[in-house]
Amino acid sequence: MYPFTYHRPASLDDAKARLSASEDGRPLAGGMSLLPTMRFRLTSCADLVDLNGIEALAGIERGDGHVRIGAMTRHAAVVESPEVGEAIPALAALAGSIGDVQVRNRGTIGGSICFADPAADYPAGLLGLGATVNTDRRAIAADDFFTGLYETALEDGEIVVSVDFPVPARAGWAKFGNQASRFAVVAVMVSLSGGSVRLAVTGARSHVFRVPEMEQALAGDFSAEAMDGIAVSSEGLNEDLHADKDYRAHLIGVMAKRAVRDALAQ
Amino acid sequence: MAGVSVTFTVNGREVTATVDPRTLLVHFLREHLKLTGTHIGCDTSQCGACTVHLDGRPAKSCALLAVQLEGAEVTTIEGVAGPDGMHPMQAAFKEHHGLQCGFCTPGMVMMGIDIANRHEAPDEATIRRELEGNLCRCTGYHNIVASIAAGASSMRG
Amino acid sequence: MYVGQAIRRREDERFLRGRGRFVEDITLDQPIAHAAFVRSPHAHAAVTHVDTAQAAAMPGVLAVLTGADWTAAGHGEAEGVWPVKDMSGADSRTAYRPLICVDGVVRCVGEIVAMVVAEDRHQALDAAEAIEVAYEEKPANTITAGALDPDIPLVHPAFGTNEVMVTEHGLKEETEAALANAHHVTEVVVPTNRVTAASMEPRAYLGHYDRVNDRYTVWTTNQAPHIVRRYFTKSLHIPEHKLRVIAPDVGGGFGMKLYHYPEEGLVLWGAIVCDRPVRWVGTRSECLLGDTHARDHHTVGRMGFDENGKILGVKFETLAAFGAYESQWQASITNAYHFTMLSLAYDIPAIHTQVRAVYTNATPVDAYRGAGRPEAVYQVERMIENGAQEMGIDPLELRARNLIPPEKFPYQTALGITYDSGDPPVLMGKIKALADYDALRAEQARLRAEGQWMGIGISAFFDMAGAGPVKMMNDLGAKVGCYDVASVRVHPDGRITVFAGSHSHGQGHETTWSQIAADRLGCDIDHIDLVEGDTDRVPMGIGTWGSRSLSTAGMAVYTAADRVVAKAKRMAAHMMECAPEDLDLADGEFTVKGTDRKLSFAAVANASYHSGDRPSDLEIGLEETSFFDPADCTYPSAIHLCVVLVDPETCAVTLRNYWAVDDVGTVINPMVLHGQVHGGLVQGIGQALMEECAYDAESGQYLSGTFMDYAIPHAEDVPSFGLDAHFTRALGNPLGAKGAGESGTIGAPACICNGVIDALWHLGVRQITQPMTPKKIWRAIEDAKRTQH
Repeated sequence: MYPFTYHRPASLDDAKARLSASEDGRPLAGGMSLLPTMRFRLTSCADLVDLNGIEALAGIERGDGHVRIGAMTRHAAVVESPEVGEAIPALAALAGSIGDVQVRNRGTIGGSICFADPAADYPAGLLGLGATVNTDRRAIAADDFFTGLYETALEDGEIVVSVDFPVPARAGWAKFGNQASRFAVVAVMVSLSGGSVRLAVTGARSHVFRVPEMEQALAGDFSAEAMDGIAVSSEGLNEDLHADKDYRAHLIGVMAKRAVRDALAQ
Repeated sequence: MAGVSVTFTVNGREVTATVDPRTLLVHFLREHLKLTGTHIGCDTSQCGACTVHLDGRPAKSCALLAVQLEGAEVTTIEGVAGPDGMHPMQAAFKEHHGLQCGFCTPGMVMMGIDIANRHEAPDEATIRRELEGNLCRCTGYHNIVASIAAGASSMRG
Repeated sequence: MYVGQAIRRREDERFLRGRGRFVEDITLDQPIAHAAFVRSPHAHAAVTHVDTAQAAAMPGVLAVLTGADWTAAGHGEAEGVWPVKDMSGADSRTAYRPLICVDGVVRCVGEIVAMVVAEDRHQALDAAEAIEVAYEEKPANTITAGALDPDIPLVHPAFGTNEVMVTEHGLKEETEAALANAHHVTEVVVPTNRVTAASMEPRAYLGHYDRVNDRYTVWTTNQAPHIVRRYFTKSLHIPEHKLRVIAPDVGGGFGMKLYHYPEEGLVLWGAIVCDRPVRWVGTRSECLLGDTHARDHHTVGRMGFDENGKILGVKFETLAAFGAYESQWQASITNAYHFTMLSLAYDIPAIHTQVRAVYTNATPVDAYRGAGRPEAVYQVERMIENGAQEMGIDPLELRARNLIPPEKFPYQTALGITYDSGDPPVLMGKIKALADYDALRAEQARLRAEGQWMGIGISAFFDMAGAGPVKMMNDLGAKVGCYDVASVRVHPDGRITVFAGSHSHGQGHETTWSQIAADRLGCDIDHIDLVEGDTDRVPMGIGTWGSRSLSTAGMAVYTAADRVVAKAKRMAAHMMECAPEDLDLADGEFTVKGTDRKLSFAAVANASYHSGDRPSDLEIGLEETSFFDPADCTYPSAIHLCVVLVDPETCAVTLRNYWAVDDVGTVINPMVLHGQVHGGLVQGIGQALMEECAYDAESGQYLSGTFMDYAIPHAEDVPSFGLDAHFTRALGNPLGAKGAGESGTIGAPACICNGVIDALWHLGVRQITQPMTPKKIWRAIEDAKRTQH
């Protein structure tokens, strides 16, 4: 790890002030991805601003037609939340499939979406459910939030405060993890709300994406069979030790169907 | 780099120290407090040999900075039993040969206690699923699973 | 009797309470400095310039050392302990792994170019980053299969070839004739994947030099501390009597912790230069790259059958990777442990094998649990499976027709090795019953009709365990004597310390050696302590590897204890005024046979040290040492059977059931035995389904550098196991025990892979290279679909 100055702000305003005062500041949320990356000396910062002491950033509340999850809410809290379990069980399932028990006890939704790992689960949850990211200065639609490999629409010093998930009529989650890290090779979140369908894929490209052909087919007939014959192109898909692009394209079809079946089972 | 002061509780005793902010919790436990039962088996938070309980829940001490622990309560493998005798989970690992080289063992025991805390009578599938964050290379898991099932049973009394 | 009982382990409590003492846990009076290394980022490159000036001036830095400093100091290399000759009689083309780059060329990613010693780990890493190294990249090859192709870059151009040596074994003409006359010939390409042990404790070393007394000490994660002393006579030229090697608790090794790694020599060098103790603790990424890798054979096999499925002959041609350099024990795999075992549990009249060892720009390969035998079993068993499927004979039935019958023991294989004892048909009968084989085949047919893919895998084999006798292993190439050593010291109060040259790193010797000693000494097991892993305390030792500790060191405990009893009986007889042969020893007491006259063992022990009233020709003291050279290797055998389910959509494999029936001779502790089998099985399952040390073919970059990419089995990936046993006595040692450490790892890869192929045979899939990952299974099915349409 390279040296840094550690900050422990007690409020969001304090955190914002410290970040804006720094030339090279970085917020620390759960740290499940950031700290190992710093340990490998792959990233560094002059000022590490720890958000873990800001109580206002954590918590889950059911609003009118949506569930709001505070940025510093741990994955385990989402798994255990009665609000999430009742309103969007697929989101609880997604949170329960992240990392492992220990990681879920520390990792946060805000940290996950800001780190924007190409194989992270929450990005698919946000995009597949049509969520909105609330920051200290604006609201960003999930469609606009994830912009590239480890890249988001956030500006320097901008802090995610919460995420609003609209409550869908149905939603389903399916994940195929790799054999080593258990990160998604391909994972799919699908949701149905008033006749409109969103289907988002993570793990397969530089960042999360939707599959319009599948969404259209499902809008007419929300069943796994509706996607028969829809082949996802392998063009531009990731290739690594765990999957080449052809296999990933195949898995997108398989996981999309499983996600739909999961949605129909709820 | 200026040291940062941090005060927290480890195995029931309050600890105050000034540390380099880069110090991982696991290094702090091992090197400052000489609690060497918590091990480091990887650098990507995969293996779980560094598992401790943080405010009552298992966490990987290799992915936490010591300075983040202000006000927290940490329990390590050295703190689960009294000076005499072993915790029922420790005893179950001995009875069921749940360890061989002993390196992953502290993490497995800490995780086993947590599994027992959260599940009334965990079955084999539950235990295997809950161990997704802990790797062992000696035992083939067969006897770890048996140990945790038995340990959970004796913890219920 | 303690032997045969599932005595709970005496070492467990310290590990369970967090009081284990591993190399990283050692503290000394002096502060310990930290070492960090600069490693080659290239698979093959000339090192044109190394600038250490800036690093040397950084805070906390005690020394910056390079290959030039190593050469200037006159230091040497890590010499092999198992040199072999080419079949032509010439020496092999040997280039030993350098401890630090000394000749201006790096030949694999991770090779050490410079070392920093600093006060703390951050300072050491900061300074290592500040060292400027200029490289000029050269073309590289990491692929074993192509290593001898024309135009492939040479790893060591001075040799003019990438070939280390060629060896051939078996009956060449008979095998050719058998294949020519066979009713059916099966041919399969059967490469064995490159994997690594990945013990949970990373390698770590701590070096210390006491300048005043001119004594060196190394704490090391090693399985054979006395052999480490031998390595140091060649690397740092330290005489064996000047060096104390301590292997404290070692967190798994599996063969991988048997070698003189660069970092081990370098930390002691750093300690000498800096006059400070120096420690290095490997990170997982350093270890996945720098620990020896294993297996990596590229093999083509042909097997001939008669019309009834009887195997007539089998022929193999193998390219065996050495990596960039020859590691210390590497040649033992190709030249002792691989070819010897190719007959497995089968009566095969003609076998011939040719092995060409090759250099590639990859991490050196060496022994890992099984070493050569997992490759042999995989190669032969994949032939048998495909042969049975092709001929339409039930795979288990075809195997049963070829098993070595009990009346043929001792059985000499076509490769010249003689199995002393065994009864494979009994093992086959037991596993068939255990698995309810006929019901499994019925279930398979039913599921297949429903579109579910279930496969049944089988493997049957012998192992050559318990390295020794010395002469036999010398003849196979060993330069170290393959015996082992134990001392039994009875203290004046009658309590006992056993010193053994083996070194437990998970095997539980504190329990099992004590069981053996307590039975021989007629005492309570709690009156015995064991000392291992310290060259200043244990007289000599060859170490724990190759499933050898029980049949060498364990037997040394047995014989040393018997010598103690013989001497104690003479003293007791003198004290009780009877003949030694009139005495029985049990429960800590000598009894005159047929009487109630008793004398405690403790009283005899005390008199042995402190009484002047003793037989005139009896030396004072009660301590004996045995250097035990076994009469033979041991030949454990086993049959494995598994059920796999392949998901028709994702192609992921679920291992549903696994059974193993082992013959390991006399069992000391069945609980420990089962633990060994369980652990070995899961490592073999990992080899079959997920583990691979992968290199990018273009750049030679290493792709499996963390547990994010190198997959080892999780608890959820494996089932609980069904084990059974049948015992035939080993003839080469007094207890009749056979090695048991490697059985699981040896048999599982073949068993699992046969199961996956069995599940997919009806789809036209004939072979998938290990590891059989979902990605490769999906591709094989797609290819088969295309071929059939």
